[in-house]
Amino acid sequence: MRRIALVGNPNCGKTTLFNRLTGLQQHTSNLPGTTVEAHHGKFKLPNETIELIDLPGIYSLFAESDDEKLVVQHLLGEGVEKPDAILLVLDSSNLRRNLLLQQQLQDLGYPTAAVLTMQDSAKRRGLAQDISHLEKQLGLQILGINPRKDRQLAAPISLFLEKLLNAAAPELPPNDTENKLQRFHSGEKIKGLSLETLLRYNRIESILSACQTQEYFGWKSFTLKLDRWFVHPVVGFLAFFAVMMIIFQGVFTLAEGPMTWVEDAFAWASVGVESFLPQHTASGLITDGLLPGLAGVVVFVPQIFILFFLIGLLEDSGYMVRASFITDRLMRKIGLNGRSVIPLVGGFACAIPAMMATRSIRNRSERLATMIVVPLMSCSARLPVYVLLISLAIPAQQFIGPVPAQTLVMTSAYFAGIIVALLIAALFKRFHPSQERSEFILELPAYQRPRLQTVAQQAWMKCKSFLQEAGSVILIISVALWALSTWGPGDSMNQAKIKAEQAAKELECPEDLEPREFQSQLESTFKLEASYAGHIGHAIEPAIEPLGYDWKTGIALISSFAAREVFVGTMSTLFQSSDGNVSGIRARMQKEIDPHTGEPKYGIAYALSLIIFYAFALQCISTMAVMKKETGSWTWPISLFLLYGALAYLGAFIVYRWSIGFLI
Amino acid sequence: MPMTADQLRNGESAVIASLHEGDYRLRLAEMGCVPGTRIKREYQAPGGDPIAFRIDTYLLGLRLEEARLIEILPEDKGGNA
Repeated sequence: MRRIALVGNPNCGKTTLFNRLTGLQQHTSNLPGTTVEAHHGKFKLPNETIELIDLPGIYSLFAESDDEKLVVQHLLGEGVEKPDAILLVLDSSNLRRNLLLQQQLQDLGYPTAAVLTMQDSAKRRGLAQDISHLEKQLGLQILGINPRKDRQLAAPISLFLEKLLNAAAPELPPNDTENKLQRFHSGEKIKGLSLETLLRYNRIESILSACQTQEYFGWKSFTLKLDRWFVHPVVGFLAFFAVMMIIFQGVFTLAEGPMTWVEDAFAWASVGVESFLPQHTASGLITDGLLPGLAGVVVFVPQIFILFFLIGLLEDSGYMVRASFITDRLMRKIGLNGRSVIPLVGGFACAIPAMMATRSIRNRSERLATMIVVPLMSCSARLPVYVLLISLAIPAQQFIGPVPAQTLVMTSAYFAGIIVALLIAALFKRFHPSQERSEFILELPAYQRPRLQTVAQQAWMKCKSFLQEAGSVILIISVALWALSTWGPGDSMNQAKIKAEQAAKELECPEDLEPREFQSQLESTFKLEASYAGHIGHAIEPAIEPLGYDWKTGIALISSFAAREVFVGTMSTLFQSSDGNVSGIRARMQKEIDPHTGEPKYGIAYALSLIIFYAFALQCISTMAVMKKETGSWTWPISLFLLYGALAYLGAFIVYRWSIGFLI
Repeated sequence: MPMTADQLRNGESAVIASLHEGDYRLRLAEMGCVPGTRIKREYQAPGGDPIAFRIDTYLLGLRLEEARLIEILPEDKGGNA
């Protein structure tokens, strides 16, 4: 299959075009040792199907960040097959700067054609180009399109690309650009690059003077009007916080409906399986092991999708760059960069894409510092844990002043992470000062209406990889847990049953429970305690007892070191809430009785201590793996795992003791 | 003393005269800050740093120290040329 690479500046409409042409038929690829992604998709020409490759947006081939390097690696064929041709995407409203890349690419000798986008916004800025004149001047075919609005896009482009593939390769003018690029990207300092760039701009100027007219320089744009508010010293920061609040509120309210559907579907499936299968250990594997474990993950897909979607809208609209702009000064003081804001906000969705998003930070210390603190942003996987614990221990009707207590605790969990992140970044700067110069130099693109379809597509791709990765881990863990909690050494399970019967006689039955229900609960508690899982839990209990956790929590804690969201799945397996429903687990946990005292086991101190533990601990193997890829060694992920583990332990200990002293 | 871009006030425009030597020179040139280009200061972040300049037809955010590397020839006051 022949391949065409899409190359262009950031914000030129390249990804919109790619998504329109390839639809959902996409996959991503990484170069060995990196996480920078190229997107691949199939596209039909009249006589053949070709592969389109969407590469990260770049301003120049002589660039230093990892995503820019990926483009050059593709063009030079380093570690990947070279594309057969290039489709250059040129932003008409910014043609002068866009043509620098065209001039550099010309030296590599690829068959090239170009599409000209954003002609409508060029017009608003008083710019107009004569396309046929431009074609002659640049020596390449140009097609004017609007990837956002054109109804017919695939047909003209497929004809255009077929012509490109059938054209003879251009004659390569004598130059040493390829050689220079190779040397530049192997780290050599090359003299005269600035001068070369200036000369290229001189040539661009003379081309444009012949085929572009500019009516006026001053432009009263919508973007400038909006920016007056978004960068305002007071309104700007208020808007930033308001936007964040709206996102989190949106995640909760918008996800409510879909979450209920998922819960209902699993409850329905569980009932169906139970009535369909005979009462047997194997059916227990499905109804008590697999289904609750899976439900515990799938139920959070709506929240995760909405969070990715809303953050995607913010990025696509151009707002996130303004957030970088207004926070740069503060970020610089603690050794970060304005650009760190995007990964940090993204960290609230998931640390994995956030780690990748740090690649646009050129200064290595600033980038490392950003990666170090990203895991402290409470990601969407922690959300289910917080939700379960908060609803377990804090009544919805309780208020502290005018604020509902549940909201207050949730917000505090997020802020605990943010504050510690800022402190750690500042400490890192102090002990690891940067050797390189820090830079900002950031384009502030015009605001645009976010492209719902593109953003939704990208959010869905991320959800899919979340489901695939978390799903398989969770499936294995829930089956293992079910086995470990169903069987025990020797005849301990039978003995547990006898012990439970005795305890039921000795203890007083609580008022809100039926005597039979009380007895069956005591029985399952004693059985779990006698099982293999119970033995493991008991083995680590001395270590976590000071934090207020029992052996059951210990099991959930261990299993969630694979990924945090496993906690809820594990709890639902352990408490056999087979409908996979938060309120189901909560009900079982609230009824849980300490067999020795007859009191409820899981109170507010327990919940707060666990929330703090989850806020700080680096319990995510995928995050660690991505960080290893991005930093090139296991040193940082392992150090952070230990550091944040210690912090989590200490924080949980303090919170637990404090809550016992003050709240109970 | 030649004027540099950071000395412009909001709404004032100028023409870029030259770029100082240094690490940012290539980056600034690539982003279109080349001699002969029109530059206009549009607004600044809280605290006066970074600053948003219009370079020809697009907005570019630069820190003070980056803007100081761009030497300019003042064009006119008021900017809507």
